[in-house]
Amino acid sequence: MATTACFIIVSRNDIPIYEAEVGSAAKREDAAQLHQFILHAALDIVQDLAWTTSAMFLKAIDRFNDLVVSVYVTAGHTRFMLLHDSRNDDGIKSFFQEVHELYIKILLNPLYLPGSRITSSHFDTKVRALARKYL
Amino acid sequence: MEPDVSIETSCMIRIAVLPIGDVPPPLLRDYHSMLLRHHAIPLSTISSFYTEHQKSPFAHQPWDSGSLRFKFVLGGAPPSPWEDFQSNRKILAVIGICHCPSSPDLDFVIDQFNAACKGYTSALVERCFAFCPGDSQLEDGKKRENLVLFPPSDRATQEFHLQTMMQDIAASLLMEFEKWVLQAESAGTILKTPLDSQATLSSEEVIKAKKRRLARAQKTIGDYCLLAGSPVDANAHYSTALELARLTADYFWYAGALEGSVCAILVDRMGQKDSVVEDEVRYRYNSVIVHYRKSFIQDNAQRVSPLTFELEATLKLARFLCRRDLAKEVVELLTSAADGAKSLIDASDRLILYVEIARLFGTLGYQRKAAFFSRQVAQLYLQQENRLAAISAMQVLAMTTKAYRVQSRASISRHPLSNETESGHADGGKMHHQSVVSLFESQWSTLQMVVLREILLSAVRAGDPLAAWSAAARLLRSYYPLITPAGQNGLASALSNSAERLPSGTRCADPALPFIRLYSFPLHPSQMDIVKRNPAREDWWAGSAPSGPFIYTPFSKGEPNDNSKQDLIWIVGEPVQVLVELANPCGFDLKVDSIYLSVQSGNFDSFPLSVDLPPNSSQVIMLSGIPTSVGPVVIPGCTVHCFGVITEHLFRDVDNLLLGAAQGLVLSDPFRCCGSPRLRNVSVPNISVVPPLPLLVSHVVGGDGAVVLYEGEIRDVWINLANAGTVPVEQAHISLSGRNQDSVISIAYETLKSALPLKPGAEVTLPVTLKAWRLGLGESDTAAGKSASGSTGRNVKDGSSPSLLIHYAGPLGDAGDLETNKSSVPPGRRLVVPLQICVLQGLSFVKARLLSMEIPAHVGESLSNLANVDGNPLDETVGYGNKIERLVKIDPFRGSWGLRFLELELSNPTDVVFEISVSVQLEKSSNGDDLSVDYAAEYGYPKTRIDRDYFARVLIPLEHFKLPFLDDSIFSKDWQSDGYTGGRNPIFSERNTKAELNASIKNLISRIKVRWQSGRNSSGELNIKDAIQAALQSSVMDVLLPDPLTFGFRLARNGSENASKLDLPKELNTSIQPSASKNFVIAHDMTPMEVLVRNNTKETIKMNLSVTCRDVAGENCVEGTKATVLWAGVLSGITMEVPPLQESKHCFSLYFLVPGEYTLVAAAVIDDANDVLRARAKSKSPDEPIFCRGPPFHVHVDGTA
Repeated sequence: MATTACFIIVSRNDIPIYEAEVGSAAKREDAAQLHQFILHAALDIVQDLAWTTSAMFLKAIDRFNDLVVSVYVTAGHTRFMLLHDSRNDDGIKSFFQEVHELYIKILLNPLYLPGSRITSSHFDTKVRALARKYL
Repeated sequence: MEPDVSIETSCMIRIAVLPIGDVPPPLLRDYHSMLLRHHAIPLSTISSFYTEHQKSPFAHQPWDSGSLRFKFVLGGAPPSPWEDFQSNRKILAVIGICHCPSSPDLDFVIDQFNAACKGYTSALVERCFAFCPGDSQLEDGKKRENLVLFPPSDRATQEFHLQTMMQDIAASLLMEFEKWVLQAESAGTILKTPLDSQATLSSEEVIKAKKRRLARAQKTIGDYCLLAGSPVDANAHYSTALELARLTADYFWYAGALEGSVCAILVDRMGQKDSVVEDEVRYRYNSVIVHYRKSFIQDNAQRVSPLTFELEATLKLARFLCRRDLAKEVVELLTSAADGAKSLIDASDRLILYVEIARLFGTLGYQRKAAFFSRQVAQLYLQQENRLAAISAMQVLAMTTKAYRVQSRASISRHPLSNETESGHADGGKMHHQSVVSLFESQWSTLQMVVLREILLSAVRAGDPLAAWSAAARLLRSYYPLITPAGQNGLASALSNSAERLPSGTRCADPALPFIRLYSFPLHPSQMDIVKRNPAREDWWAGSAPSGPFIYTPFSKGEPNDNSKQDLIWIVGEPVQVLVELANPCGFDLKVDSIYLSVQSGNFDSFPLSVDLPPNSSQVIMLSGIPTSVGPVVIPGCTVHCFGVITEHLFRDVDNLLLGAAQGLVLSDPFRCCGSPRLRNVSVPNISVVPPLPLLVSHVVGGDGAVVLYEGEIRDVWINLANAGTVPVEQAHISLSGRNQDSVISIAYETLKSALPLKPGAEVTLPVTLKAWRLGLGESDTAAGKSASGSTGRNVKDGSSPSLLIHYAGPLGDAGDLETNKSSVPPGRRLVVPLQICVLQGLSFVKARLLSMEIPAHVGESLSNLANVDGNPLDETVGYGNKIERLVKIDPFRGSWGLRFLELELSNPTDVVFEISVSVQLEKSSNGDDLSVDYAAEYGYPKTRIDRDYFARVLIPLEHFKLPFLDDSIFSKDWQSDGYTGGRNPIFSERNTKAELNASIKNLISRIKVRWQSGRNSSGELNIKDAIQAALQSSVMDVLLPDPLTFGFRLARNGSENASKLDLPKELNTSIQPSASKNFVIAHDMTPMEVLVRNNTKETIKMNLSVTCRDVAGENCVEGTKATVLWAGVLSGITMEVPPLQESKHCFSLYFLVPGEYTLVAAAVIDDANDVLRARAKSKSPDEPIFCRGPPFHVHVDGTA
């Protein structure tokens, strides 16, 4: 398991709809903020990069210091962004794919307005479990 | 590291610009900007200042196309240890700037300038520019070296002068460069960098250094060639230097020479970029970066590192490539540059690196990346913990606010584009979901809060209270749900602390609390309603309301008042109110010092209000103001003075926020979390202000409370109308509306009309007569229940009371104006005066009955006036003085005394006492020959008192009014109503007769009035017309129709007299009656009598008449065994034939054995009765004998037994 990892889902309108600190390192508020800042900044790169490839998993697209941003873009242009300090491309890819399935299940909920915040605790639990498994 | 580096930096001549003496900062900036225009001096322009002292080393100087480039360093810079490595780092010239008015002594200025120049040993040219010299200074002819006076003149001249001076400097520099290069070529110069070992050189290293010296010299000469604007020469020298440096493995200088060669290529190409050049530059620079990296020497890494050059080279390449289509490459470069930041020793180097990275990302269009690095810069500044750094941090953070979407509104308004799109969103009533989402794009609340908090921190540290206030306001307003109550309190105190340091009345573009939304625009109260006026019509108000049953008519399409629903009219000078709702979702008491409507159109005076909002509460308040001039009014929001600063709160923002909250895109709805119910979106209507209109104010004289009336009560109320406006009322019209309009009996229209025009301040009082309506069935039940419990307010509220509608208007305006522009007619107004009537249940009517009474007549000589009073029934009543007796009169057709009463049964369910008075209006005489006594006077009967919860019967005496004869035309109606079929066709005009009959009934009813009174001032009339009609209808035949036969008895003492009496009935009637009033019959005496039978029909009647006599006990005393009366003549079975409308008599004599009271009754069985008679007798079958019975006649028999 990675020491630092921050997973975030950004809707197509660039609004974060799900945030989770999934690293094993002790939680520090300023670090969490920095993670979000890095991920927010990486959106600029994603927006260009997403159109250059047909793959959903964009791999590591950005880094700051020793933190790497990996991104997975769904067909609906929802972006799964993971900030991590480990180099485990395969695990990250599997993680993204499984989260994508969970996300599709959320989308299938008729009461969920696409683009709004994901508040399902079940989703949260599953994502954290996946993070423990793959990262 | 140096800021703002690019590949071309290598060819720029650095000039320090120093203020000499006291130069005000704005002026210094101004002079600096003048210098900046001359950053490039073409070589062609400096030839006049240039003298070739010896052969120029710059053999390929492009005199016609080349130029010298300057880089002005304001305030100068300390010498860099890398000067030898990159000659462009040297300060090669110094320009002093002196503002003469503040430094009068020029000698002192020169001294100062020379002292300042001492710090710049590398400077080759020094000049001091003195601006705005005084006359004395100009006249001071002393020639001073390096001092240039700019005589005061206009700006253009001054700039021209400055250009000349710059050209001079450029020429001087060029000559110095030539000198330097010639010197460097001939004599060996030692060029060292901090990278070179400082330790004593070993022999091996000395040899190595000697070898390297040549390469370094060639590189430096190349630098000077580049500075002199000769790229071809530079390139030649660089090539040599590259060769030599490679041979000596002097990687650092190799990289430097390579950089210079790239710059030379670019300068040679004059900025033309093609892909070949680009590839070349990219290739060479990658090599530069590699070589800088190679030159990294581990042993002196702690002291000095070529890393900064590597990073600078990276940035230079990134800047060169910085284009959208190469974004990926640039991002790579910048990311790797950012990675280098960790290894940088100097914090300021890191700062510069981040600044440059942020700038490049910004240029690339990566605003979020730029913002990220800007924030890194700000954090580095904040680490320095001094005020200037804090100011820098604040400014840098302010630049990031756009990317993080937390920008101050002050900065938004500077960008008209974003403003436009925002208003575009607000205008569209229905927003598409996507566009709603776009309003809340990038709601990265964590980041936004961090940024705002950092701005707040830096602003506090920098001592900028306004910026601090603004940041705290944004933080509190947008993120209150994410902030703990303690944090909210902290922000509130930060706001207050900042406000203390601000001058009072400071405005801030960013609103803090409270949240304000529009609650409603109260329409005009009904008292001041505005009605559009149609000058073409007499009833000018009529066209204003949509007429017809259709909501939409094609005819009204295209009229400008189509959207009248959205329109609101305000009137100059009349206060208006707007309801707004405030919410304080935070955990502290919010004190709004003042809040008022903010009106942009400037024709509205709004009144401020002060509000205290407890924690987590919302409140609807009424804001008022007065329109001051005609025109549209736009109310975008409220101006709030809260936390010591004046801010503008726009309704639109809150609307958008609420919309977002509804979609789940925003954190929280501030109104909902305060417990305020959800409200529909209130749109601001189009408000226009019209010139002053008259304003009528009404009040009911004697108090505006409800008028409590009993059913049927009649009362006058006075309504006072006053013109409270400033314009006279010129037209006014009263109409009624609402339910029970008929309860208003009269309105004094004339009083109002005569009072027009009603000047401002004038009053008029209108009397209005009211008559309380009858309560309905359900109403009366509840009303009774209510009145029992003492509550009287119910009927007022349920809207059963009528209202007076008063349409009024001021002057029409100019006639010419009217013709040209119809819409310029000032509107009229409508005043609704609700007549608050509370009707209580009063006397209630139970039933009506017709009672009749017969008083038998005495048989006397003069009584037989059977036909005398024919058609003149009033005749007999004349002589009677007593009113009661007048009503008891002879039924001319029956011959008996008759009395008829209408009996009304009334009940009093109320808790007061009623007094009933009945009056019957006497019929006026229709006969011309009748006595001219006016009978219109009413009878005054004694009043009947009905106590509470009692019933009472009121008797109303009715007078006789019978038809003169029995006619079949009357029955035609009866037949039909009774269901008879096959009756005779009516001869007479049926309708006329019926109408006559109905009219007579109506006439009768209308003459009866039942008035009641209760207490001192309640009085009214009982509406019993229907009841009487119903009561009379059943017995109308009895009342109205005569019997077919009339019987009468009289004493026949004298046959001749009788005959004459019959012939001259009237004469006798008047002459004999008084004397004959004393009729007596004596016992034991033969009394001759006669029975008179009158035929009231138009046909001859054959009959079988019989006469009976009864005693007091009712026993037949003529027949039987114990007969007490003997008789002579025929008493029974008398066959008689009476011609139509004639009478016959039959004589007989009675002998009374016993004195006492006897009764004579005549009866007849009609033979061959026709249909009329049958109908009158209500016989069921045609075979039934028709039996007529006369009224009893009394006979008093005197005598002794």
